[in-house]
Amino acid sequence: MIAYTLKRLLTVIAILAVMSVAIFSITQVLPGDVAQMIVGQFATEEQVKAVRGRLGLDAPAHVQYLRWAGALLQGDLGKSMMMDRPLGPLIGDAIARSAVLAGLSIVLVAVIGIWLGVYSGVRRGTRADRFISIGSYFFISIPEFFWAIVTVMLFTGYLGWLPSTGYASMDEGFWNWAKHIILPVATLVSGLVAHVSRLTRSSMIETMQSQYITAARAKGLPENVVIRRHALRNALVPTITVLAIDVGLLMGGIVVVETVFAYPGLGRLLIFAIEQKDLPMIQAGILVVTAVYALANLGADLLYAFFNPRIRYGRAAAH
Amino acid sequence: MAALQLTEPMPRARSRFPASFVWGASMLALVVLAAAFGPMVAPFPYDQMDIMARLQPPGATHWLGTDEFGRDVLSRLLFGARLSLLMGIGATFVSLVIGVPLGLAAGYKGGRIDEGIMRAIDLVISVPPILMGLLLLSLSTPNVWKTAFAVGIIYVPIMARLTRAVTLEVAREEFVLAARARGEKLWYILAAEILPNAWPPSIVEAALRVTFAIMLGAALSFLGLGVQPPSSDWGLMIAEARPFIDTAPWVALAPGLVLCITVIAVNLVGDGLRELLDPRLKRGRG
Amino acid sequence: MKPADRDVPVLAVEHLALDYPAGGGWMRALDDVSFEIAKGRALGLVGESGSGKSTTALAVMGLLAPEARIANGRILFGGRSLLDLPDEARSKLRGERISMVFQDPFTSLNPAIQVGRQIAEPLVLHRALSDGDAAIEARRLLDEVGIPRPEDIARAYPHQLSGGMKQRALIATALACSPELLVLDEPTTALDVTIEAQILDLLERLRRDRGLSMLYITHNLGVVARICDDVCVLYAGRVVESGPVDEVLYRSKHPYTKGLLASLPRVDERQGRLSPIPGRFPDLASPPPGCIFQPRCHFALERCASGPQVLAGDAHAVRCWRADELAGTPWPSPDTPASQSGSQRDATASPLVETRDLAKQFQMGGVFDSLRLDWSGGFPLRFDPPRVRAVDGVSLTIAPGEVLGLVGESGCGKSTLGRMLVRLIEPTEGDIRIAGEAIASLSGRKLHEHRRIAQIIFQNPDSSLNPRKTVGEIIARPLVLFNLAKSSELQARVASLLDLVRLPQAYVSRYPHQLSGGEKQRVGIARALAT
Repeated sequence: MIAYTLKRLLTVIAILAVMSVAIFSITQVLPGDVAQMIVGQFATEEQVKAVRGRLGLDAPAHVQYLRWAGALLQGDLGKSMMMDRPLGPLIGDAIARSAVLAGLSIVLVAVIGIWLGVYSGVRRGTRADRFISIGSYFFISIPEFFWAIVTVMLFTGYLGWLPSTGYASMDEGFWNWAKHIILPVATLVSGLVAHVSRLTRSSMIETMQSQYITAARAKGLPENVVIRRHALRNALVPTITVLAIDVGLLMGGIVVVETVFAYPGLGRLLIFAIEQKDLPMIQAGILVVTAVYALANLGADLLYAFFNPRIRYGRAAAH
Repeated sequence: MAALQLTEPMPRARSRFPASFVWGASMLALVVLAAAFGPMVAPFPYDQMDIMARLQPPGATHWLGTDEFGRDVLSRLLFGARLSLLMGIGATFVSLVIGVPLGLAAGYKGGRIDEGIMRAIDLVISVPPILMGLLLLSLSTPNVWKTAFAVGIIYVPIMARLTRAVTLEVAREEFVLAARARGEKLWYILAAEILPNAWPPSIVEAALRVTFAIMLGAALSFLGLGVQPPSSDWGLMIAEARPFIDTAPWVALAPGLVLCITVIAVNLVGDGLRELLDPRLKRGRG
Repeated sequence: MKPADRDVPVLAVEHLALDYPAGGGWMRALDDVSFEIAKGRALGLVGESGSGKSTTALAVMGLLAPEARIANGRILFGGRSLLDLPDEARSKLRGERISMVFQDPFTSLNPAIQVGRQIAEPLVLHRALSDGDAAIEARRLLDEVGIPRPEDIARAYPHQLSGGMKQRALIATALACSPELLVLDEPTTALDVTIEAQILDLLERLRRDRGLSMLYITHNLGVVARICDDVCVLYAGRVVESGPVDEVLYRSKHPYTKGLLASLPRVDERQGRLSPIPGRFPDLASPPPGCIFQPRCHFALERCASGPQVLAGDAHAVRCWRADELAGTPWPSPDTPASQSGSQRDATASPLVETRDLAKQFQMGGVFDSLRLDWSGGFPLRFDPPRVRAVDGVSLTIAPGEVLGLVGESGCGKSTLGRMLVRLIEPTEGDIRIAGEAIASLSGRKLHEHRRIAQIIFQNPDSSLNPRKTVGEIIARPLVLFNLAKSSELQARVASLLDLVRLPQAYVSRYPHQLSGGEKQRVGIARALAT
């Protein structure tokens, strides 16, 4: 298990290294002169040159990369071009707020999605199962941004229960904080719950048909024990992979949701950076998101190995 | 094989299409027809403004009302259908054209080629989908084709992985060994023995991908990284209607609902296809 | 008058009939199935796949799929009717008094739970043992079924065990609560012959030691002869013949049993031909009129199609009105045994195929499997791909016209060797000569020529034909590839090849999935013979 973890950790580091090069080189081919953009259209040639020198943009590309990567390794994410502020705290605060959103959502998605999937999987063909299946079909087909707008229309426009945009910190009172976070979380969760429950259902159905389930029944185990002890553990293995994929979808969803609800997280910061062509911010933001995503995947892989003895104990005895 | 005159018609197992497939297919046909002929039957030009008739509710002149510039929502919807579908289908096409050959090569040749392709794909996958789109689109002024291409690139890994998995399975089959034993050329084995068996799952996956591509394309447009005003796909229409959601909800609801219906239709068709092409699934449901 | 307890059979199945939904209606999967197992006896339930053997077993266990419907009949366990028991009472019997061992040991163990815990489960459930006591008992059971180092195996996960070990572990699970009846559903079919013999030994010993009654389900008549006292032959869900093993197998009366026995190859006799049963299994949704076996029966008369047959006879019961008349008649051979002289091998001629010290090494796994952590010194990460010697130092010769049988358990390297002969796999060492020519170094046109003379017929007919091509296309392809027929002759050549393997001409336009396994294999043979 330790060797496996180390191997996977190495992969994550390799991915981040290659991604940093990729992100840097893609932003390098960005058309338009960054220095020109900063000083404005009407600046003189000297002003542009001065900015270029200050930002180190006159050095060759690989030197620029090494400088950037070196700073990154020391924890320095660089400086926002437009706001002229260090990116570290800026991104840090944004991440903290996004993490609340993402963490709450993924927990809800896992709990509700798995429960619904198992529930409908073992009751295949019943009315409850059909109801859940049709419901998830619809929820999977509604894009987040439309769902967000509809909930705003309902809960803010007609009912007036919840604020449509903004953010309040915990210091401003729990209810105040919760009011601002309910709609974004509900929006993020809706589609992903449907996704997880559909896949959990089919994996549950497949597991329930396997021979070892019949064998467990042949031992005389009551059905609930068969499900709990023998089916669940195996049925959840593919669900873990799905959850890892969903973390990626969730990050995409966060970008959309934060934009719609004007929630000051990393997603909104990124969109802002792209709109403003704030290069260092784009680079740092995407790299940070990639790192978070890679770590989430690493976590999923380790969980997967934990649930699956075939990986945990190596493949030596495999046929 | 033209020399063999196979006069007897191919005895096909009669397969009844499931009701959900028929529903999906008819809904989808309607959307496609709207996209193809909509602009010709649209009551107004999509960009004709009428400041006097801003944000009008649905009525006799404007069946689905007007937006904040007094443009006819129905006409814009019909024009938008084309862009939204183009983005979905174009993106899927890109992912098929790049992903399937990569998967075939990786799955059949194995070894270093496989390792190389798969690691490259791991890299692309290591960026969350929307961010990949943002990264690719932040480079230059966005337009429909660039968005479609970016979305297509995002889905290349999935197509390639799937094709690789199927190819690995098919390549182990003894009829492929038989072909190798009689010394068939590589291209013959790939094209005549493996591809015909590998494409059904890829096509089904592609059909289902169209929905994701449509949604992702709409989301990118919504974020301002797809279709640019004044032309508009459904995603951008929703974005533009957002400020007026309380006073004129129809402007956002119309494209939103059509988008959902399209996605449901494609999903139904994809699931129906899967059921038809995969006998294992059919038995499982029986 | 109540019979004495010891006279009550452990299991009695009486006139069991069972339906499955099919299309809009019901399909009768079992019809009038009756048999009895007395204490300490073993009954073999024999039939082809699809004959309803496993369904019968599941009905006895009460583990039928929910869509199955019992239409008629009773199942008595120790005189108690099982079908009248509530679900809860039935599940109490399962694993405690009736146990089952399944066909495929590879899928019958839960991959996520340690073997010992899976064996202990019924003990905790039915005997209310503590976890610790159950674990001790599980280790004792593993020892009883002949597993070495039971302490280690109890802690292992299923994927770490071989197939034979898995089946032993499953037998140990079934025996945990000392059941009266053990149901075995083809327990050795998935295993190699030598492992099968070991498992059969084990079962015989257990039956002797524990006085177990057994319901043994198999398609293998040899296994029945060895392990069972009584046998019951199922065909298409109907019992066609039942009685003591010696009676049924050596003085069989039903044509189907005769046919089954005639299609068995025997090691000790070099018969000219086997005698297959023609035709296919009937479609149970619309069974043939009269006797269900009549369409395939060599002895069928007009009367056979008129009414259903009844199972008649006491100790040796047969479902055929001509049974007594046919008692001594064997299933006929299709034609006179082919003369051996035609294929007489000429051992003195120079060998056609010759291999010397042939060896093949495989490298296993990908890059990550090849990376090893090694703290013994130097850089701790090593590149060391795991290797396996699949074939090592094999030398053999085959004369023209000679048939060489290559025998061994799965994984012994037979297939690898065969594939090296047709150069599907490149040997690591040694050389192969065919007609005097070293083929390992062939390339270009010479290799093309070798591809033509050396052909291979594969093991699995389901996988050896491309499902997207018609039979005609499949057989014609080698002819096209090697330019063996002008396009005008192609059709005739394909027709004659079909003829050669005795397939009807209409099959030219069929797809493989429309063929039975045997027919597919014939197509594979036709393709190999095309060159």
